[in-house]
Amino acid sequence: MGVLLPVGTRKGLFLLRSDDDRTEWEVEGPLLPGWSVFHAAVDPRDGVLYAATNNFVYGATVHRSEDLGKNWERAEELGLPEDGELKLSATWHVEPGRASELWLGGDPGVLFRSDDGGKTWEVNRGLLEHPTRESWQPGAGGMCTHSIQLTDGTMYVAISAAGSFRSEDGGESWTPINKSVAAEFMPNPYPEVGQCVHKLLAHPKRPERLWQQNHCGVYRSDDRGDNWERLDGNGLPTSFGFPLALDPDDPDVAYVIPEQSQEQHFTAEGRLGVYRTGDGGASWELVSNGLPDRAWVAVLREGLAYDGGGLYFGTQSGSVWTSERGGGQWTEAARDLPPILSVEAASV
Amino acid sequence: MAVVLLPAVLAAEAGGQKRFELEAATVGDALRQLPVQNLLFDETGELRRLVNVYVDGVDARSGRGLEEPLGDDSEVRVVGAVAGG
Repeated sequence: MGVLLPVGTRKGLFLLRSDDDRTEWEVEGPLLPGWSVFHAAVDPRDGVLYAATNNFVYGATVHRSEDLGKNWERAEELGLPEDGELKLSATWHVEPGRASELWLGGDPGVLFRSDDGGKTWEVNRGLLEHPTRESWQPGAGGMCTHSIQLTDGTMYVAISAAGSFRSEDGGESWTPINKSVAAEFMPNPYPEVGQCVHKLLAHPKRPERLWQQNHCGVYRSDDRGDNWERLDGNGLPTSFGFPLALDPDDPDVAYVIPEQSQEQHFTAEGRLGVYRTGDGGASWELVSNGLPDRAWVAVLREGLAYDGGGLYFGTQSGSVWTSERGGGQWTEAARDLPPILSVEAASV
Repeated sequence: MAVVLLPAVLAAEAGGQKRFELEAATVGDALRQLPVQNLLFDETGELRRLVNVYVDGVDARSGRGLEEPLGDDSEVRVVGAVAGG
């Protein structure tokens, strides 16, 4: 077995390969030239590689490859209902689901499901016609459905400037789960919806535990999002940031890469700092051995990934950094790539 | 037969084919026969705003748009808008 990192960039997709030692990396690409790859992932069920692809002229779509990037097919049917007022402006995240399900998040705050391996996509009406939709406000990144999590019988999505939502019925209906999550940019800082979630993850072995990096803080929930505890301070230099990673076995571990502020989208305190908690967010420590300590870079919301062996992130300045699990020592696996939009990890 | 020429990104999506010879009465008829038609038109059937189409060197939007008639030897060139520096 080895490790494959699909690295989505503004100028196509790159594949980084290593053996299980994760010390030497081969770089292949660019694949899908001409497309901005907002996210790419390998479906662990069948090894198909999916990419959420966008072109400023030709629109938003999804590509799939059954041979890890040698040949590609594009989605045949993907769009919002012709009789509606909304148009699909970007595809953001592909998430394999249960049985034959494949899920796709997009802008404006929409979710699609495919049951034929990404050839055709049906919009999720529960989210498209959500009664609170008029209260959602697009943020700087648009109104993107960027986080899709499936746990035991429950599904979560998070949408920038709309908030987090939970479904118990396979996506038929969605309940806002934003209680105690701040939206400090709103007149009412604790509204039902409108929170600007930057990334939301559920722990794979403790599915009632959710984490989110928000525009206004880092949060953890131990009851599937009914209540949230704010976790910044106690070692984090700022509350602002985009990416988030967990540990596949230890639900008390999480990683964030804070940015200076919402006005200054670069890493906090002039360094490239990954921060780790091992106690559920009560305290945070800097784990940055090997990372530059004079750096003003940015890691986007899809730019940090983890698996059982390591941590991986990509910067907007085109570097991919990897570490063994725990973040103890970082090495630069690739540099001088186009601006990196996403990093995922797969076993191949 | 009209000829339709595609730019590189669209040709790659059409299996590497850059040039198509088509029987089509209008520009719209020609474009909708292409295997990349869903990259040219949005979900409402409108030509995407930044897709430019030239018929024998003339911007189709300056004439009858997608209804622009094609002759047997018309050349339709699809050009993505140029932006940035």
